[in-house]
Amino acid sequence: MKSLEEVLETWEAVIGLEIHSELTTLNTKMFCGCKLEFGAAPNTHTCPVCLGLPGALPVPNKAAIESIVLAGLATNCDIEKHSMFYRKNYMYPDMAKNFQTTQGPIAFCMRGHLDLDVDGPAAKERYRLDSLEPGESSGNIVRTEDGYRAHVGITRIHMEEDAGKMVHIGGGEGRIAGAKESLVDYNRAGTPLIELVTEPDLRTPEEARLFMQKLRQIYLAIGISDCSMEEGSLRCDGNVSLRRRGSAQFGTKTELKNMNSFKNLHDGLAYEICRQAQVLEEGGVIYQETRHWDPSAKRTIVMRVKETADDYRLFPEPDLAPYDLSDEFIERVRAKLPELPDQKAARYSASFGLSAYDARHLVDHRATADFFDECMALVAAEKDGSKFAKPLANLIINDVTSYLNAHPEVALTDTPLTASRAVGLVRLQSDGAISSKQSKQVFAAIMEEDKDPDIIVEEKGMKQVSDAGAIEAVVDEVLAANPEKVAQFRDGKTGLMGFFVGQCMKAMRGQGNPKVINDLLSQKLS
Amino acid sequence: MTAFGSMGIAQIKAGLAAKEFSASEVAAQTFENIARADEQVHAFLETTEALAQDAAARIDRAIAEGRFGDMGVLAGVPVAFKDNMNLTGTHTTCSSRMLENYVSPYTATCVEKCLQAGALPIGKLNMDEFAFGSSTETSAFGPTRNPWDLERVPGGSSGGSAAAVAAGMVCATLGSDTGGSIRQPGSFCGIVAVKPTYGVVSRYGVVAFGSSLDQVGPFTRSVEDAAFVLNALAGRDPLDCTSQVCDVDFTANLAEGVCGMRIGVVPAFMEAQGLTSEVREKVEDAIAQLKALGAEIVEVDLPHARAAMSAYYVLGPCEAFSNLARFDSVRYGYCDPDHADLGSQYEASRAIGFGAEAKRRIMLGSYLLSSGVYDKYYYPAQQVRTLITQDYTQAYERVDCILTPVSPRTAFKFGEIGDPTEMYLSDMFTISINIAGNGGMSFPVGLGRETGLPVGVQLISPAFKDANMLRVAAALETVYGKAPVAPAFAEEKGAE
Repeated sequence: MKSLEEVLETWEAVIGLEIHSELTTLNTKMFCGCKLEFGAAPNTHTCPVCLGLPGALPVPNKAAIESIVLAGLATNCDIEKHSMFYRKNYMYPDMAKNFQTTQGPIAFCMRGHLDLDVDGPAAKERYRLDSLEPGESSGNIVRTEDGYRAHVGITRIHMEEDAGKMVHIGGGEGRIAGAKESLVDYNRAGTPLIELVTEPDLRTPEEARLFMQKLRQIYLAIGISDCSMEEGSLRCDGNVSLRRRGSAQFGTKTELKNMNSFKNLHDGLAYEICRQAQVLEEGGVIYQETRHWDPSAKRTIVMRVKETADDYRLFPEPDLAPYDLSDEFIERVRAKLPELPDQKAARYSASFGLSAYDARHLVDHRATADFFDECMALVAAEKDGSKFAKPLANLIINDVTSYLNAHPEVALTDTPLTASRAVGLVRLQSDGAISSKQSKQVFAAIMEEDKDPDIIVEEKGMKQVSDAGAIEAVVDEVLAANPEKVAQFRDGKTGLMGFFVGQCMKAMRGQGNPKVINDLLSQKLS
Repeated sequence: MTAFGSMGIAQIKAGLAAKEFSASEVAAQTFENIARADEQVHAFLETTEALAQDAAARIDRAIAEGRFGDMGVLAGVPVAFKDNMNLTGTHTTCSSRMLENYVSPYTATCVEKCLQAGALPIGKLNMDEFAFGSSTETSAFGPTRNPWDLERVPGGSSGGSAAAVAAGMVCATLGSDTGGSIRQPGSFCGIVAVKPTYGVVSRYGVVAFGSSLDQVGPFTRSVEDAAFVLNALAGRDPLDCTSQVCDVDFTANLAEGVCGMRIGVVPAFMEAQGLTSEVREKVEDAIAQLKALGAEIVEVDLPHARAAMSAYYVLGPCEAFSNLARFDSVRYGYCDPDHADLGSQYEASRAIGFGAEAKRRIMLGSYLLSSGVYDKYYYPAQQVRTLITQDYTQAYERVDCILTPVSPRTAFKFGEIGDPTEMYLSDMFTISINIAGNGGMSFPVGLGRETGLPVGVQLISPAFKDANMLRVAAALETVYGKAPVAPAFAEEKGAE
């Protein structure tokens, strides 16, 4: 199979996403009072309504309506004041009523968009980006200095209910094929779910991944879902088709499922694009089908062929009155909108002079952004407090993030690193009291020993020595002890500089100011 | 033995208050009477002796402790329920093989409200399967017979509910009405039968047929008793978001008479094809009586009502198709054994579990909602719905209540109507009220000249002004008297 890069030379990939998120931060289900809880014993959070017992009726969860309006406002959607629920009729045991309550042609949120900043390696997937000058636009993208900005349309966000969970026993890998019995757990049935549907505006797997990441940031910022792709509270299906470069006609699309991580989303789409290209180039036909991404085999497999369009016999749900959202309600929800990641990143660049890259990575996670804000608040009163922004951003993006990645079960707020300790650590380095290498050691010690950085530096005797006199003595000693190496250096083997620095550092137990050591060595060796 | 079922609510309560008899006696003798009378009528699918005795014991304790007055509007009154209403621990079969062994794990709000009001729960009543029918002949457990003539149907779908009251087994029952299923059997059995405005009574726990059309209401032999039951039933239920606040005492203005009231009559209905002359005569007589009582008779037009039947047989099956989808053999209901895959288990279970009329409506709904067909039928039906609602709104600018026939004819014989579409015409005068959502009731105005069977007139209120029709009915009651127990069963009662 050809590589993605090769394929995209000839073919344009057209990608649309359907993203489901469970509103996990709500207390109760969409149409009944059952508790929302992941991992409870099977069928313990059920009632006549979510079990679809004869005679049971739905009552909508008002908080869920507020959540979806919040999502719509945060993704630049128009909020439809008048909308209603529909019944989507299909029979499957995980849907107890054998219809799903969802929305019809008019959803609560319509016609939104998100702008994606694509740069670095991610931008390389875009076809012939280099032919554009910064500021120049083509289709839905505008070239930027280090990549491009893509405008991705959102068709709608609608409200629906989740199905229960099927467990198949006796077949291979929990699959239904060959299973002896199938069990249903209705705890998840009726969980409030919002489904966002994008326009087919995405052209590369990276754009799809970035869209998903950005949406996740937004949902986390507005607090409507825990957005766990692993636990399935954030799920993404991709619709992919190919057309020859220059063609306006869409190709036949396949629907891709089981992309339960950002990596799987990217890799699944990339594989499917390459697979379709191969089929087409060999003169084959793409069938409209649902395919399953198998991350271990690194391929997609057919789940279901759609011979005809599904007929869900959608009609207005007579048990639920049409919704009329008042301006007052919408404004009340709007007032609850927090600062969104994009706005926050823009503020970091404008107020603290951070690069777009740093700003964007800080807002990747609500926890790191909140922590950065807390740190900056501590130094806000100082004359040039904003000079701490860059070193704090480095600390958070590098050390803190890798610590959190290594300890996925720990929340930043539960670590020994408080904002004042972070500021203290950064201040020690900017005052020249410790080196950047020592700074990393102190950071590790804070996390390990739960102590303030000053105390750690004191206890470990780590104060950096910057006194030129003291360092000069060490430098002289080192040079005197290695005459042959000094000779080799002077003969042009300048790579030995590292050796001399290392020897000096070793002699000073790592506390020598590396800049001063370097300067003195250069002086004496020239 | 005292036939408590032939008494009215006020009479039973007065006897209890005066300690002439106990609630336990009321319960016990009610079951004895049912055991005898229901052999012929087959109104009951299940009787609930233990539940009734428990409730009676609570009432008797209250009487002994002098708290009878606090026990609610139906304290000590035997009440039975259509078998599409859930009552914890009882079967809720909807007269279908599909639910033959289904036991309710929860109680419908309308049943619960009766229990809260002190009613003694007597049992569950036969009906057309899933309420599809106008004769109770589609019940999977055999038809109910009309107490006035055991060779004839009691009407339907709430045939069991009507027959139990007409035979004096109980003084009040609940039924449900989607296109006439309370009013038509009320008319056939010669009793008072009320379908309140959509939203007055909660539908929670009542197995749905057409969710936008279904409404629960009482069968009684007096207008006052109907008002008592409505007082217990009406009001907003947090579990049914289509239910409405309803702070009305339905007994309040029953004695006010009709002097000065404007009663609408619909000439097109009186000339409708299929309306028998004996029914027309009785309806005309009722109009004359109201006029004599001081009401102003005003002709009104409901120009779109003729499309009601068509709209109904689109909307009803569409909603029924979807509502009945849950009966799939997986969690409950009839499950045909030994199928290798889900699809064939679904198919076989539903093929055996559902009767012919249920299948007909499911298939019709499935077709009407399918892509390409939906736009041709469902939308126009909803438009008709709007037009009919507007017709009523306009008519009520000129009148306080409308009077029409309930059914074009009196009760027919078993098997007499075989063609489903002819059966559907039984509801020609009642359906538009479900379409518009306002209240309608049947009041018995005597026996037809030719058949000697009961004839009811239909009184139709503006939405949420159900008290209007009750007031008119109460005035008619001063002329025609309270509905009697059907003669063959009245003779048996011994006492009185």
